[in-house]
Amino acid sequence: MNMVLPRIAARNLLRQKKRTILLAGAIAFGIMIVTLINGFAGSFIQNVSENFAYLMGGHVFVSGSEYTPSGKRISVIRDDSAIMKSLQDAGVKWKSIAKTSQASATIIFEGRSIRQNLTGIDIVHSEMLKSRLALVKGSWENAREPDAIIISQSVAKKLNVLPGDKVIAQLQTVTGQNNVGEFRVAAISVDSSIIGSIMTYVQLDYLNSLIGLGKGEYMSLGIMLDRLDLSDGFATSLYTSMKGNGIQLFDRNAKQESTSTTPFQAMIREQNSETWSGTKYRVYTIDDVLSQARQIVIALDTASVAILIVLFAIVMIGISNTFRMSMYERIREIGTMRAIGVQRGEIRAMFLYEALFLALAGAIVGIVLALVIMGILGLFSFDPQSAIFLILKRGHLSFYLPPLRALGNIAIISALTLVAVYAPANAAAKLAPAEALRTVK
Amino acid sequence: MNVFFRKRNPKSIRAFSLVVMVLAGFLAGVPAVVAQAKPDPTALLKELDQLSDFSGKDFSAVFTIVTQKPGEKDSVTQARIFRRDTKKQFLILILLPEVNKGQGYLREEDNVWFYDPTSRKFSHSSVKENLQNTKAKNSDFTLSSFAEDYEVTSMTEGTLGKFPVWILDMKAKTNEVSYERVVLYIRKDRTMLLKREDYSVNGRLMRTTAYPKYVELDGKLLPSQILILDEINKGEKSQITMAEQSVAPLPDKVFTKAFLEQVSR
Repeated sequence: MNMVLPRIAARNLLRQKKRTILLAGAIAFGIMIVTLINGFAGSFIQNVSENFAYLMGGHVFVSGSEYTPSGKRISVIRDDSAIMKSLQDAGVKWKSIAKTSQASATIIFEGRSIRQNLTGIDIVHSEMLKSRLALVKGSWENAREPDAIIISQSVAKKLNVLPGDKVIAQLQTVTGQNNVGEFRVAAISVDSSIIGSIMTYVQLDYLNSLIGLGKGEYMSLGIMLDRLDLSDGFATSLYTSMKGNGIQLFDRNAKQESTSTTPFQAMIREQNSETWSGTKYRVYTIDDVLSQARQIVIALDTASVAILIVLFAIVMIGISNTFRMSMYERIREIGTMRAIGVQRGEIRAMFLYEALFLALAGAIVGIVLALVIMGILGLFSFDPQSAIFLILKRGHLSFYLPPLRALGNIAIISALTLVAVYAPANAAAKLAPAEALRTVK
Repeated sequence: MNVFFRKRNPKSIRAFSLVVMVLAGFLAGVPAVVAQAKPDPTALLKELDQLSDFSGKDFSAVFTIVTQKPGEKDSVTQARIFRRDTKKQFLILILLPEVNKGQGYLREEDNVWFYDPTSRKFSHSSVKENLQNTKAKNSDFTLSSFAEDYEVTSMTEGTLGKFPVWILDMKAKTNEVSYERVVLYIRKDRTMLLKREDYSVNGRLMRTTAYPKYVELDGKLLPSQILILDEINKGEKSQITMAEQSVAPLPDKVFTKAFLEQVSR
């Protein structure tokens, strides 16, 4: 391969350091902005899903629905032996499982009240809960009591309660009857987020007795896996295994057959449009519930491409004009080169090499700058109560730049720069040597 | 001398016997009279339900609800309510507070929809839900169905203020009505509900409702003032007053989503 032309191109760029730095800087700035958006979009869905998985206590969920004698639909898993067998049969690994019931309740203490989502869980044996909740007051020992309640700091502040205080919870049974329970504050936990602060944990058996479910029954089985990306495969295996064991299931592929926004909504629509006897189950992942969040990622990616094009349309005009000027400045040099035998195509190639080197240098600098900024932004710690908590990773902004996306951006920039420079390069190539040599600047 | 065996005047014995016989006859007759006066509890409940039932006609009224919560300013909610009891339809249109103006609840068959004009979206609601931030439930504005939903476990006599009342202790027939146990205080001389107590599934008094004022509309007695006390969160209460009540016919379109969207603009 002839390396003379690339070397001349590189030398030309270095001869005009200030101009090269300015042009490469413009490219670097553009690609830095686009890379930051891509990096944010790349981690957005990951962080939102992980945070929701953390809050909901699982990556994959199984819930059951049945009709009451009067035709009202309620959410309940009465006997999970077939589900547990299916979990074993599926032959897939999980980290932990959590059986939970949920109820929306108004918690009242001395005239103050707050709306909370009560999660009934076996507090004593839930390792997941213990690993997720950091207690600031009270203890896990207190939480062994059957009427124990663990509330977040913000709720404790609003109600002005301390561990040991007795609060009243007003709630409804699964069939819609009003009921009242008394709980003793066992512990106060650190607010993990805005959503985390509305999560309140109580003993499953006691909550069940208040909402009209029996001992051993619950509403939802949450399965925590080692990693989020395993959830879809796990759900498919579990679904197949449950189907094999003759369990009634809502179709996991309902989304493809309807216009629903998310697979979870499709399952709910399917549930609303049919009747069945006994309990019918649905298997879904955190991604099924949050698939709308993916549309945000698509929107961010589309916006980044639009920004890339607009920014570079401006930059390209500048590059094209600069190369045209450069051609006139070097017109006698081009004439000399042509006179000593350099071909037109080689002149064109020399300019295009210059453009390519400029684009590559700018793009690489831009990506490096973006990575540095990502690293710096990642050092800042955000308030767990802030509105952006759901998109944070352990309280910090995080970025993930897919390598292919970065390479794609470099390719787009290189191609656009070559297109911008092609016209002046072609004009330079078409110069007649004698005319070029006669030209006086 | 044994006073029990002293010799008596035959005249006084006859008079005494007569008094005993009259007294015995009277006493024997009292339970029969009382039994006759004690109405059939189910019939009483049906009569009570009838008072709020405008089947065959339309009903509309404006309800103003003043809610008091300790440590908070009193809040005023006003709603115009349209009912067509024949089809179990209702539409509740929020007029106040200004921030919630245009919101509404529509009952179509067994579904209750909540409409939010800001998002222009309908979402599922229930007659068991509280109306806005008040202590009143949507079901407080619809026709009652005590006879259908509850069975009377005891019926006793009592007095409420200066009124003699029947006290009906009732248990829900199914586990899908809002309150498992309800105690009604019904005026004896004229079937009017004066007080109601609602209990939770585990037997705790949750809400006491008093009906101090009534108005007559189309031959039926309707409570024009209702006081609701929250017995769980003591100090929280709502006072409801009814005005502009009417049984004038309403157009069919009133009970549609389109109407709710139109009037909310």
